[in-house]
Amino acid sequence: MMAQTASAERAQSRARVAIRPELAPLVFLVLLSAILGATTTGFLAVDNLVSIVAQVAVVGTVALAVNLVILNGEIDVSTGSLLATCSLVFGAVANSTGGVLWPFLAAVGFGGVIGIINGSLVAFGGIPSIIATLGMLLILRGLLLVKAAVGVLAIDPPSRGLGIDFILGIPVPVLILVAVYVVAEIIVRRTTFGRDVIAIGSNGRAARFIGLPIGRVKVICFTLSGICCGIASGVFFGQIGQLQATAATGFELRVIAAVVLGGTSIIGGSGSVIAPVLGAVLVGVILNGLALNAVPETLEQFILGLLILTAISLDAIRQRLSLRRR
Amino acid sequence: MQKIIEKLDVDDVANTSVRAETSCGSVRTLCELKGVGKQFGGTWACRNIDLTVNAGEVHAVVGENGAGKSTLMKLLHGVYIPDEGSIVRDGQTISFRSPRDAEAAGIAMVPQELDLFPDLSVCENLFVGRERPRTRFGTFDWKAMQRESRAVFARLGIEIDVRALVRSLSSASAQMVEIARALLGNAEIVLMDEPTAALSLKEAERLFSIVRELCDRGVGVVYITHRLEEVFENADQITVMRDGAWVHTGPSNQLDKHQLVELMVGRPVQKFFHRTPRSPGEVAVKVQGLGVRGLFENASLELRKGEIVGLAGLIGAGRSELAQTIFGITPAETGSIEVLGRRVKIGSPSAALKHGIAYLPEERRSQGLHLGYPGPWNITFGNLDRLNWFGLTSRKVERTEASKYQSMFSIRGDMSTEVSGLSGGNQQKVLLSKILFQEPDVIILDEPTRGVDVGARAEIYRIIDDLANSGKAILMISSELNEVLSMADRILVMYRGKITGAFDGPDFSSRQIGYAIAGVDAPSSDADLRTVA
Repeated sequence: MMAQTASAERAQSRARVAIRPELAPLVFLVLLSAILGATTTGFLAVDNLVSIVAQVAVVGTVALAVNLVILNGEIDVSTGSLLATCSLVFGAVANSTGGVLWPFLAAVGFGGVIGIINGSLVAFGGIPSIIATLGMLLILRGLLLVKAAVGVLAIDPPSRGLGIDFILGIPVPVLILVAVYVVAEIIVRRTTFGRDVIAIGSNGRAARFIGLPIGRVKVICFTLSGICCGIASGVFFGQIGQLQATAATGFELRVIAAVVLGGTSIIGGSGSVIAPVLGAVLVGVILNGLALNAVPETLEQFILGLLILTAISLDAIRQRLSLRRR
Repeated sequence: MQKIIEKLDVDDVANTSVRAETSCGSVRTLCELKGVGKQFGGTWACRNIDLTVNAGEVHAVVGENGAGKSTLMKLLHGVYIPDEGSIVRDGQTISFRSPRDAEAAGIAMVPQELDLFPDLSVCENLFVGRERPRTRFGTFDWKAMQRESRAVFARLGIEIDVRALVRSLSSASAQMVEIARALLGNAEIVLMDEPTAALSLKEAERLFSIVRELCDRGVGVVYITHRLEEVFENADQITVMRDGAWVHTGPSNQLDKHQLVELMVGRPVQKFFHRTPRSPGEVAVKVQGLGVRGLFENASLELRKGEIVGLAGLIGAGRSELAQTIFGITPAETGSIEVLGRRVKIGSPSAALKHGIAYLPEERRSQGLHLGYPGPWNITFGNLDRLNWFGLTSRKVERTEASKYQSMFSIRGDMSTEVSGLSGGNQQKVLLSKILFQEPDVIILDEPTRGVDVGARAEIYRIIDDLANSGKAILMISSELNEVLSMADRILVMYRGKITGAFDGPDFSSRQIGYAIAGVDAPSSDADLRTVA
């Protein structure tokens, strides 16, 4: 009897695993890595794998927060310009104070403020999030072009630590990505706020009818997105060393691609916390595989676009199947 | 031999038709429904219905909410395909696969909800989905379209700018556009589903003069309504439906209002739930002069601890709107709300919950549940702070908490998977658990047994009864008279945005309440009617 219930429970939890949204991208990632490992020398080397993760750490860190925004049923397309602007703040403060801490705090603070503005426009101004954040994307890029039109901004090596240092042999960008992931996982799994994010994204009317603080939750989501841009700017600037006004152009699309490729539904309400990390690593592996096999860089965008369309189509089919099951 | 029989048959038919003609003038049958029915997921929405549409006649279909009237119209308009019976049009059995087939057979529908495109002009709306006239260059011939539109409105005797956007029209004019659209295809049968629900008295009169003109031209009109005065003023034939079944068909001059209400309500009303006697406590909520423009006005009511107040009325009478205003979804424009004798301002659902008022929404799937998530998740998410430990939730505590409700309400089904997999009744119990998890003192239930099977219904009634016995104040909105009559200690009736009747239990007169729901004055001598209730 006991054994029976236990096995029934196990069957149930297996069923739950089978429908988890991040499963498909995970399987794809493992398969792709196996194929690349077998065909491409140097791919499975630990250094190569770690460097892949380090390369996608900036996208992944921001995508972890944008994932929350998308789970909430909104979208944030301002992250490209915001990352660059935060980097400008980071660089400017670094050049006057030196070190990492103050520039980091300043960038995070700046990102947070912009996030609050984005969120308030959406939650209280009633502006659709794609419009509000698109406006912010253009405004920030415009400010950058005015402020830093000529030349580049460089920082001293001590201030580049977040992008290039190692702790216990692990690159700092990877550590930051993991830390942000852990925090995101705790937020979604264990806090009321995390639950509210998903509840609002999956059925806004029901959320309203039970009195959830919808406006506040939305503002916090966008604020976290801004804060993560601030965190990532330290890594970003550290990795590239010098900043141009056009830096991180198109970054926002790579962030959204990572979220969606990882298995979070673009219409909100369903997805997982690990999705953006998986998606970002998947993109990293593909780009790395292409580079190692000397595929011309010009094909990169084409292949990524194809991949995104495939992933979204599969998601749409999955949703239709599960609807039919209901 | 066989030939003779056939001949006899023909003679027989000829004789009947002669009889029909002599008895009520020259009546041509346009369309006949013979024993049609439609079921959804095992329940029959309507079953074995006969209906005859004659040329030049207005045929009213009446019945309580949920009697199956709209389903019947949709069967006749090809939206649904009948699961039994047949449709005969001009002597031939036909089957429609879509409304387009029905339109081709000359059957047009003026729907209950306005199905117009607000940002297109009147003229464009008339031609949506139709063959548009073209110029010889193959482009749309707008002039011809406008000419044809004007001609239709001229036929109806309506002045309207066919180039105006539908958005800019009043709801009455929009209704006229719907009718014009139905007529543009030269329909012989026009179906109308509550055409006057959104119209003022004067506009309704105008509508009926148009209907009359149509009939004079030989069109057959079938229409659903809840306004019984209209039926007697305008209909030639009346068909009454109740609980998905045909009840009565006859000329309108052979019935009076009270007989009609009786036919609609049915009798005898059996109480299917025997509630425990209760003695209500202090006043939990007092609402005075509450109003929101366009929805309802001057609503006053009291809810006492430990009592169930039923709120009856037709769909669109303003019951849900009143409930949602008390719950803060549409804040009140006038009037006041007192909770336990203290005046409070309720501007949002969270404010209402803070004052201990919870609301079980009418639409379980769109307003209540998160279908893609499991039961415990659904039950707890509205009030997680109750379970939290230093701001962190625990899945384990959540499951334990949910299993309490599961055993208390005997929720059957797998609670660890998506609630979309549960039956309607069990979903409703999950939703009830979610509301109770808010620990409310006042509970507003909006159609608590809609889409719930009979067995689960009885269980939900028991839960509601227990809640009242434990001292909760309950306001129960229901379109099912039996349900209200069995469950409530007191009954309020709303009609067209106003509370028009208040009845004290425990022995209600189902007739009196039926009259109030239908907006009909009670007969002067009520003595002979008492016997039924």
